Amino acid sequence: MDDPLDTDVTIEAPEHIVFRHVVAGPGRRALAHVLDLFVCYTIVVIVSALTILAFLGMSGFAGAFESAVEAGAGVILVVLFAAQWLYSFLWEGITGRSPGKMALDLRVVMVSGRPIGFAASALRNVLRAADVMPVGYLVGVTAMAMNRRFQRLGDLVAGTMVIVAGRASKTAPLVLWPPAAPVELAVLPDVVPLDVEERVAIELFLRRRAALGPAREQELANILMAPLQERFGFRLPNASRTLALLYDRAVNVGRSEGPPSSRAEHGVARRWLPARAPYERRP
Amino acid sequence: MISAVTESAFAERRQLDWNRLDELSRRAAAGGIRALDAEQVVDLAPLYRDACADLARARAARYSAPLVEYLQALTASAHAIVYGSYARTDRARGRRGTRLRRAVEAFPRAVRKRWKPITLAAVLFFGPFLFGMIESMRHPEFALRLVPASMLDPLTEAYAKGFNDGRAVGESTQMAGFYVNNNVGIALRCFAMGIFAGVGSAFFLVDNGLSIGAILGYVASQGAGDNILTFVVGHSSLELGAIVLSGGAGMSLGWSVVAPGDRTRLASLQNAAREVVVIMFGAAVMLLMAAGIEAYWSSSSLSATVKRSIGAVMFVLVMLYMVLVGRGQKGDGGLVEGREKPDADDQAAAAGRRWT
Repeated sequence: MDDPLDTDVTIEAPEHIVFRHVVAGPGRRALAHVLDLFVCYTIVVIVSALTILAFLGMSGFAGAFESAVEAGAGVILVVLFAAQWLYSFLWEGITGRSPGKMALDLRVVMVSGRPIGFAASALRNVLRAADVMPVGYLVGVTAMAMNRRFQRLGDLVAGTMVIVAGRASKTAPLVLWPPAAPVELAVLPDVVPLDVEERVAIELFLRRRAALGPAREQELANILMAPLQERFGFRLPNASRTLALLYDRAVNVGRSEGPPSSRAEHGVARRWLPARAPYERRP
Repeated sequence: MISAVTESAFAERRQLDWNRLDELSRRAAAGGIRALDAEQVVDLAPLYRDACADLARARAARYSAPLVEYLQALTASAHAIVYGSYARTDRARGRRGTRLRRAVEAFPRAVRKRWKPITLAAVLFFGPFLFGMIESMRHPEFALRLVPASMLDPLTEAYAKGFNDGRAVGESTQMAGFYVNNNVGIALRCFAMGIFAGVGSAFFLVDNGLSIGAILGYVASQGAGDNILTFVVGHSSLELGAIVLSGGAGMSLGWSVVAPGDRTRLASLQNAAREVVVIMFGAAVMLLMAAGIEAYWSSSSLSATVKRSIGAVMFVLVMLYMVLVGRGQKGDGGLVEGREKPDADDQAAAAGRRWT
């Protein structure tokens, strides 16, 4: 498969299904990290305050003020250690995401797409000490710039990557509305061979057009129509409507249960041209 | 081949299964696979396979991008549930014992496998250590050049006093916290810095060896040598041993990039990392134990003879553990999760080598 231009990583599952994961960039990860630092050190401050209160309370009874303060300081040091070295390690080892990553919809996975375990989580979080060098994650960001999965050193060592785990919500398929009029059907080509990129481009346009102003809608439609018009020699005065008709026929022709516009005159497409193969490289 | 079914008809028919898979994978993602009851677990795999088939079908039938995206997100999240990070078939692979026992055995095994960099780390640590100690015993001003006097003087004072009074529980707890925060942090950093061709770890080892040696030598030159020896002997085999081990593990990491052998540098690095992460965990546990001993035992008012004999016994135990435990079983006993198939780049490189 071609390497995508986007920040996508493709993974093939044992079912021979290819997944695409969107890899998270440095900006989003930095934001998640700042959130994590905030959450983590807020907890540290709260726990420290409670510790101090608890030990002061104890010292009130035992009358050993100095000793209690010292013990409290020891507990706080352990909490600081946990904040620095255990917070991310445990969150990511157990759930694959720290609270900051949850907030920004990020998830740490192995480069194979599987969830990470404790070993990988430990490696990537201990190597953080190398990534922050010399100041402000300079090493980490440099490493991220040098590979296509945005992996910092810790990710490279552990074989992990950070992906955007957003879930696509299901959208209803596009329906031609109003249905094709007889006049339109009369001039519409029987077969509209579109390759994947053309189909996706038209689809994106059709889904967006409600949000566009009428002039902008026609302007974009004209740009999209230009190469198609040349190929099909077909065009109605309204370019946007023309695209909707072409799209509808392209995706529904030859399918049963389709709308009337998807059927050619005698119920069957008269001449069937295969669409340009999607894997064919463009010149 | 174009499917005869329109997108809306296809989606309508399959929607119930998709919703169910979505619900199951959400529940399992939040609460682990244990959040599902037996019947749901049994359902999960066929639902996942069907969704995979639907995704393939939707792609082949060239259904609209949002539907393909939706199915792709659905199968990807279910994939993360159906396939764990490692195979949970310990028994089937003939692994012995509990997880704890495998961990206890894997640590010395990993150490023995990396004995060369660890020996180098020991030389890099104990060389400067001895040099610093001898130099500052002969010329105490040598220690002052390395370690500020504001740190040396209270130490000398404390050790000169001896530990006959013991230490208050509060102070011991404070010191335990300090040892955990400081020492384990140093060891982890020392390991991580090894990624820079091992130079970072080497620097940490030399730096720490020199300072610790200088402090020991300085305190001894001020006439508290017996006391400080009695103090450190109990925990030093664990503490210094762990620093050497984490430094050696870090240098293995760096060396795997410098001399990757038959692999790509990245594959070599990942392979080394999976092996030495066991050493890193082990060293961290050793330092936690050392912190406990140092805070509550070494500073106690027990007699010097008891402390020194126990210290000697500890040293022998640590050495025996490293040399003898876990022999006769190979690898890490399945301890390290997430063992991956070779990286795609690596396979490509191997294929390239084969034909050229």
